[in-house]
Amino acid sequence: MIGAIDTGKLFELVWAAGLAGIAFCGVFAVAILGVARVTDMRQAGRGAAAALYLGLSVLALVAFAAAVVFGIAMIVQK
Amino acid sequence: MDGDLILVIVVATALAFDFTNGFHDTANAIATSVSTRALSPRNAVLIASVLNFAGAFISLKVAATVGKGIVDASAATTTVVFAGLIGAIAWNLATWYFGLPSSSSHALIGGLVGAAFVASGTGAVNGNGLIEKVIVPGLVAPVLAFLVAGIAIVAAYRIVGRIRPGPVNRGYRLGQIVSGSLFSLAHGTNDAQKTMGIITLALIAHGNLSPDRFDVPTWVIVSSAGAIALGTYSGGWRIIRTMGNRIIKMDPAQGFSAQGAGAAVVLTASHLGYPLSTTHVISGAIMGAGAAKRVSAVRWGLAGNIAVAWVLTLPAAAIIGGIVYGITEIFGNGALGPLVVAVSFFGLLLAIFGRRLNRGPALTAGA
Repeated sequence: MIGAIDTGKLFELVWAAGLAGIAFCGVFAVAILGVARVTDMRQAGRGAAAALYLGLSVLALVAFAAAVVFGIAMIVQK
Repeated sequence: MDGDLILVIVVATALAFDFTNGFHDTANAIATSVSTRALSPRNAVLIASVLNFAGAFISLKVAATVGKGIVDASAATTTVVFAGLIGAIAWNLATWYFGLPSSSSHALIGGLVGAAFVASGTGAVNGNGLIEKVIVPGLVAPVLAFLVAGIAIVAAYRIVGRIRPGPVNRGYRLGQIVSGSLFSLAHGTNDAQKTMGIITLALIAHGNLSPDRFDVPTWVIVSSAGAIALGTYSGGWRIIRTMGNRIIKMDPAQGFSAQGAGAAVVLTASHLGYPLSTTHVISGAIMGAGAAKRVSAVRWGLAGNIAVAWVLTLPAAAIIGGIVYGITEIFGNGALGPLVVAVSFFGLLLAIFGRRLNRGPALTAGA
């Protein structure tokens, strides 16, 4: 039975899928944090902090969009 | 004449299986979105069915791999394929009746294995292929998705935990539309192709297509895409309710983490050439997202029933497939056996569903 299992591929799957899943959810959480904090900082009159959070949320959203595009590319190439 | 009739029966049964596949697996893509009110049930099934339809046109590579490495190609006659399909449909409907998510692909493989075993003996089934392509992925998928979704939701709560719930919930609901759409597209690409592959194999066996090239005719692509989309649109609400509300009561962050982590796991695995069942992945991810918040939040009794259904899928579909093949053999090698079985099976289903419809609301009504 063990001979039928490609353990190298299985190990690769565990770490790659784990990393992808956590990163995908993590960057989206950062995007939400950034967007929510922009409003809070603007209301508090802290323009510089608002700009920083805006930059953070844009970066996170770009990373999230890139992950989605990569996912679609994988579906198309399958 | 007999061959033509068998071909028509196999094509119709394959499309019926495709319909149950869409119907059964709607929950994978939309259960969390409906449960957290990211989408209304009507919009959720509409988006999922459109993306399943579109997904079926994207690629044809999976179509050539149906049952490859598991069932000996020479044993996969049209009657064996027919019996395997009936086994898969019967198991899909049984698990749907009890609201249990299970893998349609494993049911199809089980049905084919059982029918091929009865037709040609143990030599027709590749045990190592079964372990490598069905049993190991079946064990890995839910455990991996459970862990990834669990870690993802803990990380998400750490990041957004101090923010007002309003913007967080709105953000996660938007994110769920994206992750659910990815799931639907991947499902349409993967699962509709299995039906295309089966119909194409039947056409090759019948002599309508050349065995040298695996060319899927356009009408096969369109009809398979249509059947899975129609099944998805019909929505298997019993399973949607199980996955959306009964395993855990989820908030939008948990819904997104389950779906997002699940989509990432499915696509990464597919990229590495390790196809995992979307049903196993999303079910494991939902349990992981629930357990990471509070272990007692997961209804472990129900989770156990789901695990039992997964374990039983392969042998149960195999037994049904084997029995169906045995019954068709009683009527000889012609079309009479598959015809009698198909008419009896679909007549029985019609009688059961017709009686239910007469009694009151349809089995699938309501979210």
